[in-house]
Amino acid sequence: MNLTDEQKRMYDGEYGPGFQKAINMLIEYGEVWDAERLVNVHSAHTGLGGGDWLNEILEGVDQIRAFTTTHAGSVGSVQARRAMGVEEKYLQGGEEYEKQMLDLCVPKGFIPASTCTPYLVGNLPTAGRIFSWPGSSGIIISNSIFGARGNRDAMPASMVSAITGLTPDMLLLKKEQRYGEVLFKIEDLDMENLNEADYGAIGYYIGGVAETRNVVVEGIPQNVSFDKLKSFLTPQPVSGAVAVCHIVGVTPEAPTVEEALGHKQPEMIVKIGRKELREGWESLHTAEKNEVEVVSFGCPQLGISEMGKIARLLEGKKIASSVKFVVSTTDQVYILAKRMGYVEIIENAGGIIVTGICVMGFPYAQLETPATTGATNSAKAASYQARRGINIQYGSFEDCVNAAITGKWER
Amino acid sequence: MILHGKTVKKGQVEGEAIVSQIPFSYLGDLNVETGTVAPVGHDLEGQSIAGKIFVFPTGKGSTVGPYVANMAKKLGNTPAGMICVDVEPVMAMVAIMNDIPMVHKLDQNPLEVISTGDFIKMDATEGTVEIVNKG
Repeated sequence: MNLTDEQKRMYDGEYGPGFQKAINMLIEYGEVWDAERLVNVHSAHTGLGGGDWLNEILEGVDQIRAFTTTHAGSVGSVQARRAMGVEEKYLQGGEEYEKQMLDLCVPKGFIPASTCTPYLVGNLPTAGRIFSWPGSSGIIISNSIFGARGNRDAMPASMVSAITGLTPDMLLLKKEQRYGEVLFKIEDLDMENLNEADYGAIGYYIGGVAETRNVVVEGIPQNVSFDKLKSFLTPQPVSGAVAVCHIVGVTPEAPTVEEALGHKQPEMIVKIGRKELREGWESLHTAEKNEVEVVSFGCPQLGISEMGKIARLLEGKKIASSVKFVVSTTDQVYILAKRMGYVEIIENAGGIIVTGICVMGFPYAQLETPATTGATNSAKAASYQARRGINIQYGSFEDCVNAAITGKWER
Repeated sequence: MILHGKTVKKGQVEGEAIVSQIPFSYLGDLNVETGTVAPVGHDLEGQSIAGKIFVFPTGKGSTVGPYVANMAKKLGNTPAGMICVDVEPVMAMVAIMNDIPMVHKLDQNPLEVISTGDFIKMDATEGTVEIVNKG
C-alpha cells in the first residue's frame, strides 16, 4: 500500500491512537484485495454501535474527517419503540445509552440523522464520488441510481472511513469491477402500471438469481418514480448480496445494455415476466390467515411522496381497533409531512408515526400485546421478519391500508 | 498437506476444523450466547463454531456482522480462525476488527480438502494452512 505523507503521519500515530488504529484497519482491509492506495471519501454514514470498540477507535479523535451522518437506530429509537407499544421493561436504560452515544459522537462531528435513507436528508453522493456506508439498501441505491461508488462496507469499515476520511481504492470503486455480470430482460410486464410491491417482488427474485454478482436490468421505464426504484433495489441484497444494479436508461453508467456490461457477454441472461413476478410475490407472502395484527411501512424509511400516498388512502377513514399501524420516516420528512397535513390525517385515522428507527426489526414479540402476523409493502422487511417466524402479508400501499381499515387481508 | 492462500487477517492459530458449505452471516446465523449455528436447516444447525477453525464459502448479509461477532467474542463464542473460499467485505471486517486470523483464495478448495474434525495449523500471516491429521 502506498501512503501519502499525510496518511503516513496518521499511520505513525502523530494524530493519536484513534486515527492510527483506524488507518491500520483500512490498510489491512485494502490489502485483502491488493488495493494500492487509500482515497478520499466524499460521503460517510455509520452506526454508533460496537460497544467498547467505539470508545477505543475514537480515542484522541477530536474531529472526524469525513462528512458523516448516522444510521437508523442511533437517536430516538427508544421513544419510537415506546410509541409502537413496546413493553417498558425492554426499554430500560436505552435512553441513557443513546444520550451517552450522542455526547460522545456529536462533538466530534457525526450528524445524528438516525436514518437508513441518508440521501433523503442531505447526504447524497453524486456520480463518480466515493461513499462508505453500511446498510445494504443505501449502498445499492447510491451505486445504482446516483452512480456514486461504494463497497459493501461493514459498520466498522464505515466508522474508520468516517474518522480518517479514507477508504481503500478497490472492488466497486474501480470502473472495471462495476460492469454488469448478469442481464435481466423484463418482458410482457406493464412496468408503467405495476405498483411498488410488484417492483419489490421482481427485485427480490432478481437478487436470489444474481447472488453476489453485478446486475443489469433492461425494460424499466426511464420515467419510473424514485419510490419504485427504491422498492426495486432494496430487496436485491436481501435475497442475494447485490451491491450494484445497472438499470438501463436510469443508472448514469448504463445509457445502453452494452455499456452496462462493459461490452462483454453476460454470464447469464434471465427473462423476467409474469411467472417470475408471481414467484417473487409467493416467496414474500407467507401468512395463511387473513386476520391483520400489524401493518408497518418504512423499510427503508419513507420519503415525503410515500407519506402523502398513505395520507390520501387514509383520509376520512379509521384503522380497525385490532390493528397496530406504524409508519417509519426521518425527522426531516416528518416535519414536511406535518406541514402538508399528512401527520394529522394518519394520526386521526389511528396510525402511529415514528422517526429514527428501523422497522425491519419490528418488535412483534416485545409489544404489550405480542403479535405474530405483519402486513407490509417492503420486501426487505417481509423477508427478514419471516426469518424471525412472523407470518407476512405482502402487498402494496393500497392492499395494506385497506387491510388496516377492514382488519382483514384481501387480495 | 499444506495449502497456500492469501491473508485476510494475520496471526497463527491451530485447532479443530468445522466445515460449512453455506455462505455465513454473523447476524442471524450465529447464536451469540452459545456460539452455535442458529438457523433450522443450516448444515451446521446446533453445532458450535467457538474456538474452532471455521471453514465456509464466503460471507453474506447484514453490514452489522462485525459488531455481532464482537459481542460473541466477549463471550468466547467466536472461531479461533476462519478460512473462506473467497471472502467478501463484510466478513473480512469481521476478522480484522475482532483479530481472528483468516485466509482465503487457497490453491485447493478448502470445502473439498478439509473435513469437520480435521486438526488444522494455520499461519495466516504467511497464508498457509496445514492439515495435520485427518479427523
